Amino acid sequence: MIASGFFKKGSKLFLPLLSVAVCLSIWEVLHLIIGGDFLPSPYQVFKEGLRMFSVKIGGNTVWVHIYYSLRRVVIAYLLGAVTGLPLGMYMGWNRTFDKVVKPVFEVLRPIPPIAWIPIAILWLGIGEGPKIFICYVGAFVIFVLNAYTGMRYTDPLLIAAARTYGASRRQQLFNVAIPASLPSVFAGVQNALSMSWMCVLAAELVGAREGVGYLIIQGMDMYKPPMIMVGMIIIGIIGASLAVTLRWFERLVCPWRRDLT
Amino acid sequence: MTTKEEYARGKKVKVGVTDLTKCYDELLVLDDINFEIYDGEMLCIVGPTGCGKTTFLNTLARFIPATRGDILVDGTPSDPRRHNIAFVFQEVSSIPWLSVEDNIRFGLRIKRLPADEIERRVETMLELVGLKPFRRNFPQELSSSMEQRVVIARNFALNPDLLLMDEPYGQLDIKLRYYLEDELIRIWNELKSTVLFVTHNIEEAVYLGQRILVLSNKPAKIKEEIIVDLPRPRKFDDPEFVKIREHVTESIRWW
Repeated sequence: MIASGFFKKGSKLFLPLLSVAVCLSIWEVLHLIIGGDFLPSPYQVFKEGLRMFSVKIGGNTVWVHIYYSLRRVVIAYLLGAVTGLPLGMYMGWNRTFDKVVKPVFEVLRPIPPIAWIPIAILWLGIGEGPKIFICYVGAFVIFVLNAYTGMRYTDPLLIAAARTYGASRRQQLFNVAIPASLPSVFAGVQNALSMSWMCVLAAELVGAREGVGYLIIQGMDMYKPPMIMVGMIIIGIIGASLAVTLRWFERLVCPWRRDLT
Repeated sequence: MTTKEEYARGKKVKVGVTDLTKCYDELLVLDDINFEIYDGEMLCIVGPTGCGKTTFLNTLARFIPATRGDILVDGTPSDPRRHNIAFVFQEVSSIPWLSVEDNIRFGLRIKRLPADEIERRVETMLELVGLKPFRRNFPQELSSSMEQRVVIARNFALNPDLLLMDEPYGQLDIKLRYYLEDELIRIWNELKSTVLFVTHNIEEAVYLGQRILVLSNKPAKIKEEIIVDLPRPRKFDDPEFVKIREHVTESIRWW
């Protein structure tokens, strides 16, 4: 009785907690079956986490590693937005430009960002350059695609309405097409950030001295599975926080969609 | 019955259409259409489905170029930059990211009217269509008939030289349609705009129009011009009303 009342009232908090508890139990059971080093127990991982946050790894604290990864992502992401959004929007707006650019873009698009790693290292050396470049490629493609789709699917009726009022091409663009494309752009804004966060880790697995990806590689080199798993959990938590922040930001910028989200 | 001469007496021609013709390659859609719209008139156009009503309106709105012929507004060739031509589409064209009041401001801002004039007109229109309590709502928070009223308010706010309406109530149920038709008459009486109302609903045309133009089947020509000199508010079951309605129905048949 008490439990069911608690379940109803506290289900907002209760269900997520239950889900975490179940996952941890399964993990613990798997640890007991598989055993020891291969799959560390949740407690071992937790202990390792505490240890990692209290010492320096490769000369830097975990916070500094996170900072390095985030810095790469943010730089690449902003560059991607600044170049990708206008390009995508212009492709969606101008048919001639679209015809010229589209074939090139279609060939470049399916190349996964990770496939750029070797050439990026050849071109840009082993410093920050290639890592930012990889993230940039990932974010850029998504920015372009979403801006393009958003523009392309602008309701022609709204453009026609603006035209009856004698709106110039410019007014049609700024008063109709761009606002109309915002929801799609925002979907891209979120996906691009996730993509660029995934890419930074891939890039850091190859020859980085700092960053969250480096933590994982350290764990592998030192044969410390708990360390690898702590690194993975950090990646997950940061990725999720980024997504939540952007969703909040979207609600701020596209208030007319508040009932749809 | 009022004759054309009597009807035209004392009225000023607002829009003159002469020899309006539109061909798509070999296909002749509009064939030598000639008519006038008088200042402040409510003119209805009816025609059989597929007779080229949409092409007709799009040509009038200058969305597509006419093959031949002139459209003069106040004696000068119509131009969306110079003239106020407003268009209420069949589909609801409210702008989803703008609130009700910003939707009404939309056309006025594109026309770059002074800010105080815009505010004055927005207040007038909100009052006229009774949307004041919903001014800050977004269109999708309203019912579709209310959305269409937002669009109608947005277009009347321009004080258009010519307001083109393409079956704006075609998708609403009959009760709402009656209500909105009365509202349209009320706004039109208040603002004295020139309205060209296209519909395939004969009853609606007889209810609204001071004059009805009947289009023939493709290629569209003006088959007949009917003056509706019934007092308002009109009654659907008034014998005079029924007579005119039946006359239009007869005229519209092409078989």
